[in-house]
Amino acid sequence: MNSIAFLKAAYIITWLVYLGYLARILLGMKKVAAERAELERTTARGTASATMKRSAS
Amino acid sequence: MKKIATSSILLTVALLGITSYLALAIAPTEATMGDVQRIFYYHVPSAWVAGVCFFINFLASVWYLIKRSPGSDAIAAASAEVGVIFCSVVLITGPIWARPVWGIWWTWDARLTTTLVLWLIYVSYLMLRRFAAGGQSQVMAAVLGIFGFVDVPIVYMSIRWFRTQHPSPVMGGGENSGLAPAMLHVFLFNLAAFTVLGLFFVWLRYKMELAQQQLESAHAQAALKGVA
Repeated sequence: MNSIAFLKAAYIITWLVYLGYLARILLGMKKVAAERAELERTTARGTASATMKRSAS
Repeated sequence: MKKIATSSILLTVALLGITSYLALAIAPTEATMGDVQRIFYYHVPSAWVAGVCFFINFLASVWYLIKRSPGSDAIAAASAEVGVIFCSVVLITGPIWARPVWGIWWTWDARLTTTLVLWLIYVSYLMLRRFAAGGQSQVMAAVLGIFGFVDVPIVYMSIRWFRTQHPSPVMGGGENSGLAPAMLHVFLFNLAAFTVLGLFFVWLRYKMELAQQQLESAHAQAALKGVA
């Protein structure tokens, strides 16, 4: 293998590691935002049903 | 969210693109090693950013032990993870550079060994944060972050203290050290660009860590109310 192949390998791997890590962070942020929205929906539903139960009694 | 994602990808690709162009097309070819020496323009800035990240982790860990603020814990977690990523690049590009130049992928000299130990320390730090049970994991991680940082100056000084296969310092290494001006300009630009990239990753990861912490406390509050 000539030295250019090593050079290319080093640069390609570095690009892959940094872009892969960025993708991991962005997907993680998306997942946390989705979970947060889901929790807020659940909380709102739970609060509404508790209020209805109280007013019915 | 879409805006953050698009601008993050654009910034990362732009920084990597410009640094690659400068290193591969603008920097002159080194006389002894030839083109493979261009790995230097990614290898050294990555090592620098890893050191900066571990220093941020050290400061945030000290601050967490003093104030117990969730923000400093989030900074510590973010900087350790980004530091491990940059240190991984150092440990990957180093052997790829070593093989054509030294004829071997790896040798247990002081610089390489202390760098591997550094990487292992911060991987342990991340595993401790991820898997330790109980409320003391953040305190234990902060203590590990403080003691783990001791290895950073050892890594830096190892090529000054010991005779190593790894080359002597290129900058500030005595009379015969230094870079040709054309190489130095590219190197300094890449150093600055990688620092921006690393700090940007820390900021993004910090935002994610804070959001995760807030989600966990929201879950706990909802469970207390008996909603979720």
